[in-house]
Amino acid sequence: MKVYLAIARVTARSVLAYRGAYALGIAGSCFQLLATTALWTALLAGGASIGGFDLPEMKAYLLVGFATGLIGTLVGDWVLANRIRDGQVALDLVKPIDTQKVFFAQNCGGLGLEIVFIAVVSGVFVLLAGPMPGPADGWLFAASLAFVLPIRFGITFLTTMLVFWTENHHGVVWARDGVAAVLSGAIVPLAMMPGWLQSAAAVLPFAGLTSTPALIYLGKAPNPGLLIAIQAGWAVALWYLARFAFRGASRQITIHGG
Amino acid sequence: MTAALLRDLRLYRRCLGAVIRGIMEYVADFWILIGAGIVTQSLGLVFLGVVFAKVPTLAGWTFPEMVLIYSLFGIVAGVLPIFADGIWNLGRLIHEGRFDYLLTRPYSPLLQVLSRSMGFNGVGDTLASLAMFGWAVAHVDVAWTPGTVLVGLVLLASAIALRLALLVIGNSAAFWVRSPFVFAITVLRVGELGRYPIGIYGLGIRLLLTTALPFAFTAFYPAAWLLGRGGQAWLGLGTPLVAALAWLAALKIFNLGLRRYESSGH
Repeated sequence: MKVYLAIARVTARSVLAYRGAYALGIAGSCFQLLATTALWTALLAGGASIGGFDLPEMKAYLLVGFATGLIGTLVGDWVLANRIRDGQVALDLVKPIDTQKVFFAQNCGGLGLEIVFIAVVSGVFVLLAGPMPGPADGWLFAASLAFVLPIRFGITFLTTMLVFWTENHHGVVWARDGVAAVLSGAIVPLAMMPGWLQSAAAVLPFAGLTSTPALIYLGKAPNPGLLIAIQAGWAVALWYLARFAFRGASRQITIHGG
Repeated sequence: MTAALLRDLRLYRRCLGAVIRGIMEYVADFWILIGAGIVTQSLGLVFLGVVFAKVPTLAGWTFPEMVLIYSLFGIVAGVLPIFADGIWNLGRLIHEGRFDYLLTRPYSPLLQVLSRSMGFNGVGDTLASLAMFGWAVAHVDVAWTPGTVLVGLVLLASAIALRLALLVIGNSAAFWVRSPFVFAITVLRVGELGRYPIGIYGLGIRLLLTTALPFAFTAFYPAAWLLGRGGQAWLGLGTPLVAALAWLAALKIFNLGLRRYESSGH
């Protein structure tokens, strides 16, 4: 455990060293937030509501979506992907520490700076974008938020393993992030989607990334306890799924030469 | 002059050819990237489709009109990775000192950088966007004449050139800053705002997208001209001029950076 804490600490420090670059990256994501806010403002001007969301609620939904979209992304999967691609992962396998736990610790190391960015952007957004509702139940919201990191880690770690077979990590990342954006409700709330897509989203882990925390924040979840339990279930399931997959995938490594 | 131009073109084609041969060694990657491109381009369509199932217009724009703007942006953004994706290597080349090699070869460093890699996701992007564009064109109210088609093609080519110029500028930051990739990505993210009618944004953003980072000319203004609406529809005809100005700036900035380059170790 001490080892992993140390890794998280070291990662936090190295993330901090590049804070300027990360801040610039976040500024880029802010433009996405700006675009979606402008679109919804145009759609919901004059007190209209779509799918049960009025403008203040939609703004809060978008802000929660921005925040959850940032959690667990600062320390990317590129580190692992590159290690797999150039074969350095073989060295990780001989170390007496667990590769999966190492990468989870690194993800946690980025969390500090992520929270700072979320706080700053949220503050500015609330000031500029005007009135929006606060969390319906702070504790439930916090509980739901806590599961975002493990779920994202599980999905990321699982998909990164595809690099054992393919050379191209970009394509995998783009496809994954695209699918996740739709099925997590980050693009539009799941409630507005066609029925078949909603049912698909309900059984997949992605909803736990955006939809669940956002709906709990707005108090729109009929059964928040159940939703959080589903998040917890996926967090655990993804962890062991990834573990199992990694064991199989690492057999793909071919060592050339002596 | 023409001989030099032909030589440049031929070399460019051969550089890309070498890249293609490299990529074709990894057939699975090729398909993954094309699939990823299609998925990425379809995202906005999910948004527009869901929203327009509930409302007839968005800020006065109908669903087919929105799809037209969106897909035009997608085509412009999708074509570039196919033949000029190498620009994204500039930062790494500079920082690892490998840019030196390019300077020793008798071929324009910028063209060498541009032809260095290929993004097959662009094929997926372009295919998906073309499909959307075709659907949109069949559903919008445009009086097609040979003139419209000709001007439309000129505007499309200008929009592609303009976007490439903006990417060259964004990536040229590598000559000055230590994390150029992030800088260029940020420029690109600002550009994403150009997928929608710019009337929905505040004055500041509209000015930004029209002047400093004129991404509005890569899709919205040309589409507005085609549709003959959107207030300043005639602005779309300025796209070639904006593209030319952007290229002047891009070459100026790239050359300034070139003069400043002092290999790695700085």
